[in-house]
Amino acid sequence: MSPVSHIDFAALTLLEALDLAILIEDEARERYLEFAEQLETHHTEESAQFFSFMASNEEKHHRELAARRKALFGDAPVTVSRSQIFDIEAPELSEVAVFMSPRDALLVAQRAETKAYAFFASAVIHVDNAEVKALFSELAQEEIEHQALVQAELDKLPADDGFAASDFADGPVEQD
Amino acid sequence: MADSALAPSNESVALTAKDFKSELKPIWCPGCGDYGVLQAIYRALAAIGRPPHEVAFISGIGCSSRIPGYTTAYGFNSVHGRALPIAQGVKLANPDLLVLVSGGDGDGFSIGGGHVAHAIRRNIDLTYIVMDNQIYGLTKGQLSPTSPKGLVTATSMFGSLERPINPLLYTLAYGAGYVAQGTPSDMKGLAEIIEEAIRYPGFSFVNIQSPCVTYGDESGQAKAHRERAKSLASMGHDAADRLKAMDLAQAYGEELYTGVFYRDPNPTETYEAQIALRHSALKGKGPHREEIVDMFLQRLSAE
Repeated sequence: MSPVSHIDFAALTLLEALDLAILIEDEARERYLEFAEQLETHHTEESAQFFSFMASNEEKHHRELAARRKALFGDAPVTVSRSQIFDIEAPELSEVAVFMSPRDALLVAQRAETKAYAFFASAVIHVDNAEVKALFSELAQEEIEHQALVQAELDKLPADDGFAASDFADGPVEQD
Repeated sequence: MADSALAPSNESVALTAKDFKSELKPIWCPGCGDYGVLQAIYRALAAIGRPPHEVAFISGIGCSSRIPGYTTAYGFNSVHGRALPIAQGVKLANPDLLVLVSGGDGDGFSIGGGHVAHAIRRNIDLTYIVMDNQIYGLTKGQLSPTSPKGLVTATSMFGSLERPINPLLYTLAYGAGYVAQGTPSDMKGLAEIIEEAIRYPGFSFVNIQSPCVTYGDESGQAKAHRERAKSLASMGHDAADRLKAMDLAQAYGEELYTGVFYRDPNPTETYEAQIALRHSALKGKGPHREEIVDMFLQRLSAE
């Protein structure tokens, strides 16, 4: 169950690497938006707002990378596609739960940032191009910074109340 | 192998998954496996490249049967258990449409169980996608036909006494030409088997272990799937070997095998192809479809 397919990291050009990084941000933004929508529908407002905030962060990263691409390569065509990546920085679909606490939501983001770091850190080993190597190292470093930001938010929250989201879900009910 | 799924389209515009996403927002429980299935379907349809107006999505009733509304394709959220008969009618009325059918294990193997065998034996070119969560989730967690023996639910407080139906063995036994299984825990793999099922020229069946996060058993959740899933391709399974596929399918409920169990290397002629041949053979010997409709309408007005 590899998260990437058909990517030859050794032959990756800077343009392709930038496009992949943009697609990774897009995927994460869409997933966070989807989570926000799911939780809004199911009355879990605080965590929905947090996921909306994360989506706007991913959008910001997308814009930064896109500006860099434009400056370096103008309107050169995109030669990589979304079908080549899956769940690199996007939290896993099953991570969201009805009535999840803001702490749980932050932990979801934390795991996603850790996952993204692992991707860039392991990919950089297989890269030959020096510019791509520098880009992936930079992106891996950014993921570490994001983890620290999420951790700082986690530290501000009061201690867990001991409830899990599943405590609020309906279980089997005996019928009289 | 003929690529019937691609045949009728004259449009060559590159499509993305987003082209198949409708404005309607899913109301499944957060974390439901069906979100992943929906994403995989979007991806598979984009890879197929047929525009939404050349696709029809037919479903029955249940959580997973809501899927047609979440796509931009034609859709019919029909009657409980009757998705397959309606889909067969749609395909026969307009063979150029790419017809997909979705539903849950209850819709497909309990209430609509009788229809599966007949859809398979007719071999109409449909792709039947079952989101198998082993429970009736929409109605708050009753036993379904694929619930494991011993499962405690709202209707089996002391554990189910019934053995589950095995959807893989069932469809293989009736002669389905393409049988696969996936899980949204491996969405990339799932999108690939759905795409392949659509491309298969004949009846194709994809069983998806889609976790019910609210009423489902712990062993059926995404995390457990990631730990349990074993890819048939990595096991070296030859998907052209039907008997081996049946042998592997017997592990349903115990092992979580993902990928293609069986793909008929020599697909048999579809029902609609046989109809076209018969029409051709009977040309001039019987009334055209339009004439039959006219006769029917005249008779109706006479009554």
